[in-house]
Amino acid sequence: GITDSFGAAIHALGPSQLTDGVIHRSKRMMLDTLGVGLLGTRTAVFNKAVKYSQTFRSEQRSSVWGRSDLTLPPCYAAFVNGIAVHSMDFDDTWHPATHPSGAVLPALLALAEQLPSRPSGLDLLLAFNVGIEVQGRLLRFSREAYNIPEFHPPSVVGVMGSAAASAKLLGLSPSQCSHALAIAASSAGAPLANAATQTKPLHIGNAARRGLEAARLAQAGLEGNPAVLDVDSGLGVYYKDYSPSAMPDCASGAFRWILEDQDVAFKRIPAHLAMHWLVDAALAASAELQETVWSFDPSQIRRVTLRVPPSKYIDVPLPTTEHQARHSFQFNACSALLDNKVTVASFDPAQINRPALRELLSKVEVTTPADNRPSFDDMYCEVQVETAQGGSCTARCDTFYGHWRKPLSQQDLVEKFCANASSVLSSEGVEGVID
Amino acid sequence: MFYSCTLQKTLKLIRAARRVHNSAVEVLTSPAPEETVTGSFGKFISEVKSEHLSSVVLHRSKRMVLDSIGVGLIGSTTEVFDVVLQHCKHMYGPDNISTVYGRRGVRLSPTLAAFVNGVATHSMDFDDTWHPATHPSGAVLPAVLALSDMMPASRKPSGLDFLLAFNVGIEIQGRLMRFSNEARNIPKRFHPPTVVGPMGSAAACARLLSLDPSQCSHALAIAASLAGAPMANAATQSKPLHIGNASRLGLEAALLASRGLEASPLVLDAVAGVAGFNAFYEDYVPQPLDSPHDGHAFLLEEQDMGFKRFPAHLGMHWVADAAASVHKLLVGAGPGKVSPHQVQDILLRVPLSKYINRPFPESEHEARHSFQFNACSALLDGEVTVKSFTPAAMSRPELHALLSRVRLEHPHDNPANFNLMYGEVQVMLVGGDTVNGRCDTFYGHWRNPLTNQSLRKKFRNNAEAVLPSAKVERLIEAVDDLDRLEDCKDLLSQLQ
Repeated sequence: GITDSFGAAIHALGPSQLTDGVIHRSKRMMLDTLGVGLLGTRTAVFNKAVKYSQTFRSEQRSSVWGRSDLTLPPCYAAFVNGIAVHSMDFDDTWHPATHPSGAVLPALLALAEQLPSRPSGLDLLLAFNVGIEVQGRLLRFSREAYNIPEFHPPSVVGVMGSAAASAKLLGLSPSQCSHALAIAASSAGAPLANAATQTKPLHIGNAARRGLEAARLAQAGLEGNPAVLDVDSGLGVYYKDYSPSAMPDCASGAFRWILEDQDVAFKRIPAHLAMHWLVDAALAASAELQETVWSFDPSQIRRVTLRVPPSKYIDVPLPTTEHQARHSFQFNACSALLDNKVTVASFDPAQINRPALRELLSKVEVTTPADNRPSFDDMYCEVQVETAQGGSCTARCDTFYGHWRKPLSQQDLVEKFCANASSVLSSEGVEGVID
Repeated sequence: MFYSCTLQKTLKLIRAARRVHNSAVEVLTSPAPEETVTGSFGKFISEVKSEHLSSVVLHRSKRMVLDSIGVGLIGSTTEVFDVVLQHCKHMYGPDNISTVYGRRGVRLSPTLAAFVNGVATHSMDFDDTWHPATHPSGAVLPAVLALSDMMPASRKPSGLDFLLAFNVGIEIQGRLMRFSNEARNIPKRFHPPTVVGPMGSAAACARLLSLDPSQCSHALAIAASLAGAPMANAATQSKPLHIGNASRLGLEAALLASRGLEASPLVLDAVAGVAGFNAFYEDYVPQPLDSPHDGHAFLLEEQDMGFKRFPAHLGMHWVADAAASVHKLLVGAGPGKVSPHQVQDILLRVPLSKYINRPFPESEHEARHSFQFNACSALLDGEVTVKSFTPAAMSRPELHALLSRVRLEHPHDNPANFNLMYGEVQVMLVGGDTVNGRCDTFYGHWRNPLTNQSLRKKFRNNAEAVLPSAKVERLIEAVDDLDRLEDCKDLLSQLQ
């Protein structure tokens, strides 16, 4: 069945199946993930999770990123590092939508520290790609995965990817790999309502942790449903339409990594992906106004109209928390118009609450044109700024810089990493990771 | 470019109106906690006190505590319990905090103890069942025990505090299940203990930790992100982990909330376009909880618990009782055996449910979820017991002979609902005679509750599998006196 084909593939995929394209792309994902994770270790949610995790004792200990003084039981290291990765919504995004790397890399690194002989870089890369691939395959089992979900996608497929990657690194048998997936399925699925709250990063942290745990339980002989991907009452419960298909036999030559054909997007702003279109459009509108209007000043703005895809989850007119701000079309548009840039610092509480921003927020209207679909492959954002003097300027963004259609240059990716990592590591540390 | 005075005034008015409008919008978009369902739950958990527990609720919940401990103790002899215990000991170091059922000297971190004890409780499908259907105690008791162990020796909860927390955990589960009609049907997608169990555990632990109303709400919301496991893993070795994880993750949610972690303040409310707890149900109509001071009545007062007499899915109890009455008729007054040679055909009239229709179960787990297996066991032996599911009993040729003669019928008047179903066994003998048995309400169902004597007998049989009988008796006493105990350590110290 389908579950068997996944178990067989996880077991059988080898370094010879990795292509140059996939190696290149996945290394970029690992670098970006480490960087955003390191930056994320300065957040409140990360610190709460660390304090909680420190209540556990264990003999096996794994590293906590950016904290040379601290180790945790491997599952909890995966937990807190995963939280760090997603804590600022700065991690990579794929299509159909999920944040694939944060669910996998923390689990693998925590596990790698425990293996009797250290895995090679290639072993790690292979396991990483297995974890990404499984997620991509599962997302394609449903048309619903292309739309606004009920369950936060990283919580559905992330734990499965983590289980697959961990099973790969552990060298489990095909049957154990299938059971790892089955056990992980019982740990999947968190409702979307907790996105845009402080708990959202735990969706990724828990995906990493519980996938690793599932693989370890499978290694210990625990079994779940061997048809968990086949039946509607298995992984299918998370989707209204569910149509699974088998993984091709990797020896047959019919196997092709999804990452080969569909790259990920890297973020330049620690906010929901849709904000990137908006900010690019807002910056373009602002630039045009500055060129055409004599001494243009944001206080001259009379009205801002945003034409965006429909999504209640990111339509937040008056965000009060950092998490809400990262998920607010209105906030990101106004930040861009006021400051001519949106950066990590734009989401500080002081910045969120400044009067000039609150004032500008009151002038924003959001409309959702019928042709603007909530899909990261198809959406656009348009920003129209009208001034008190009667001037008007409209700019549109179809593909932001960092999207898979317009990938970050290697230089810009490395620059993002350095900026993030240097907040936590010394410069030798930063250089060391890049190498 | 310049403005006229009127234009300036108009613009000022528009801006002022916008501000007023926006503050109204702000109120609408972030309703005050008192007006939300989620807020009402948080408030209830924080404000309810032991004096709100009626004597009926105290009595019924103490029976639940006793039964749950007993099935947990016998569950500590199962293979799946061993796997998870070894996993916890291997992945985590010894941590001298929370007791593990039935294993002298073994203690783990609180959430891990809750996990393994929860697994033990559900490992044999022997734990209590409620209506609408879930297994409420296994998700709550292990967490409340583990958390009580965690509290400093000088400030252990009293027996009454303990019982209050336990009842809060049960109540929240019952209330959540009433938000949906789907909860009354055979679950198709999510295994109910995984949906409401973590919420109950979080509520109970938030109560025991004396969190404020806002923290209690956040505990529920954090738990919601940990809820939900698919039905496909039920009737596999992983199923007991559903209860183990419910207990563990609810405790974790409460602990995280106590450290200030926040989540959605509207998780239980039905917000259009943003799925919260309603993600787990097709139909969902949430209701706020009344304040405990305002005429709130615990659900346990009106709807008692079902306790199982043997370790199998609740539906099995109807066919077993029906088949047992046929057995009695066939063997007459004395002890005897029914022989397959006498039997031509066995017809079972049962509700339609794929999950418990297994003609030839191959594993112990499958056998516990098989109308056919339980009917034939009871027909052969006159009863179904713990021993009916051993490999030896399962592989008996006479059992297989009977199994091959079973047919099922699903009458329209027999819905898959624990409040309404019945079980009928019609045996056609080789001579042509038929013998009928029917059970509308099995002994142990909430309409026909186990007597205290029967409940204690079940407890002794279970607990004596791992504890010396002196300890077993002390446990019975401790639970009986629970609402009068100053310090629940008298209970905590007898579990291993």
